[in-house]
Amino acid sequence: MDELKTIRELYGEPQADPILKARVRKRLEAELLRRRRRLSWTVAVAGLAVAAATAIAVPSVIGRAGPPNQVTEIAGAPYQTTAISGRSVLLAAATTAESGSAATGAYWRVRKLYRQTYPERLGRGENRYRVVESRLTEQWVARDGRVWSGSRALGARPMSGADEEAWRRDGSPTEWSSEGDVLSTSPDKGMLRAVTGKVPFSMAGHQMTFEQLRGLPADPAALKDWVTEAVRDVPGGSTDGVVADALSGLLWSKPSPPDVRAAAYRALADLPNVRYLGKATDEQGRAGAAFSFTLQAAPPVRRTLIIDPDSSQVLSSTVTGRPGVTGDQVEVVLDAGWTDDKPAVPDLP
Amino acid sequence: MTTMSWAAHPVGDAEVIQLSLDESERFSAIFDTYFGEIHRYVAQRLGADHAEDIVAETFLTAFRKRARYDPSLASVRAWLYGIATNLIGKHRRFEVRTLRALGRYGVDTDIPGHEEQVAAQVSAESLRPSLAAAMAGLNQRDRDVLLLVALAGLSHEEIATALDIPYGTVGSRLNRARKKLRATLGGTNPILESEEAGRG
Repeated sequence: MDELKTIRELYGEPQADPILKARVRKRLEAELLRRRRRLSWTVAVAGLAVAAATAIAVPSVIGRAGPPNQVTEIAGAPYQTTAISGRSVLLAAATTAESGSAATGAYWRVRKLYRQTYPERLGRGENRYRVVESRLTEQWVARDGRVWSGSRALGARPMSGADEEAWRRDGSPTEWSSEGDVLSTSPDKGMLRAVTGKVPFSMAGHQMTFEQLRGLPADPAALKDWVTEAVRDVPGGSTDGVVADALSGLLWSKPSPPDVRAAAYRALADLPNVRYLGKATDEQGRAGAAFSFTLQAAPPVRRTLIIDPDSSQVLSSTVTGRPGVTGDQVEVVLDAGWTDDKPAVPDLP
Repeated sequence: MTTMSWAAHPVGDAEVIQLSLDESERFSAIFDTYFGEIHRYVAQRLGADHAEDIVAETFLTAFRKRARYDPSLASVRAWLYGIATNLIGKHRRFEVRTLRALGRYGVDTDIPGHEEQVAAQVSAESLRPSLAAAMAGLNQRDRDVLLLVALAGLSHEEIATALDIPYGTVGSRLNRARKKLRATLGGTNPILESEEAGRG
């Protein structure tokens, strides 16, 4: 039976994450609560639940925000000018957000374009190249909390000019098969599936329903306190980066009420770790203002958001430096809002 | 406290499932008992990043299907492994990536207090890439059976009930998987070779 031993050695012993069990339990509990009102797990695991509630939605990205390089820059002279103009941009967005329309429509829908570099080089022999995959995703949430997820691959393209040359030398293939994945230069038919077992929204590890989003503080300081409290027990310590990320999440992926969105913009304007990078255009060519903050200090992981102060909408997010990911992860928000359309496979852009 | 009361009055898993039909909170005892090993198995096959979702889905599926659980056929443990294995089967892409990573880097062996295992790790080191590739190259159903034996330690009978396949099929899939591994590793793995020779 020695090959069984060899297999066990290959797979090894996974690292145990002490709060994982509490986090999974919390998810189950939320799902079971949703299915049947009566459930006393909550009582039995009250202690655990506290730990779970503070778990973060994307733990691998978020760590202690300490700050090596950025701090030096922030402490430097340019800080004053950029901080002031950046702050005014965020406050302007807050004013716009405040007059946003209230919830109308049967579904909350977010339509996004994802761009990510495929982790393996493709091609044969000397002709190796990287490709970038694009994907359209749509999340639909009905008012009763049911969730649908739509997805459609838009096709892969060589990453750079040099990659494109290597691709041509490789015979310009339009399909690749790589380690169980099939990639194509053409869009696929797309899919739509009902998502079960998940609460529609989460923030700093707190699973959130429509009602809970509506109940968030509309005062910037109170909102910041609420978020800071929520992330207090995040492994590695509560961090400015986690707070900034949770606050910004209220602006673009969730149906936050107008006054909560305005409060989130105002709270972000007062965070010292949110840096204004100046005017920018997103990948769709839409003009906006770019802000960034550190999610993890070492190795450095940053999120850069481009917002449109005139509409208060977040146009795009780019995560740079995420461990295990080649290149940047780009999400472009094509549409976020209420609709009476019915969940369907995403249309091609 | 529900958990405490179960510790004080131990009841069989199968009975807990029965009781949970009327009192769903009883199911938490099943979660408490098996979360650790089911997570370990899923994390080994799909990597830690994807394990959380699949493990949550495993227990939710078990909860939903608990009325259909038949204690005369399978232990709760084998039943959960069966559910997890079926869910893993939907994520071949992650499993193949995990195997690729294992082949390249191996697992984190930098754990203090395991010095006595260093020799074994070093000997396994040289054949790791080809073993990982061979595992990735197996038919999914063959790999399921092989790993339920190697990682979960289930018996043939338990695997048959967990995967809902005939008893004889377990043996034939296992033999096929092991034969393929040996064919791949035969030239490079002295351990496997000597074992073969020993069996004549």
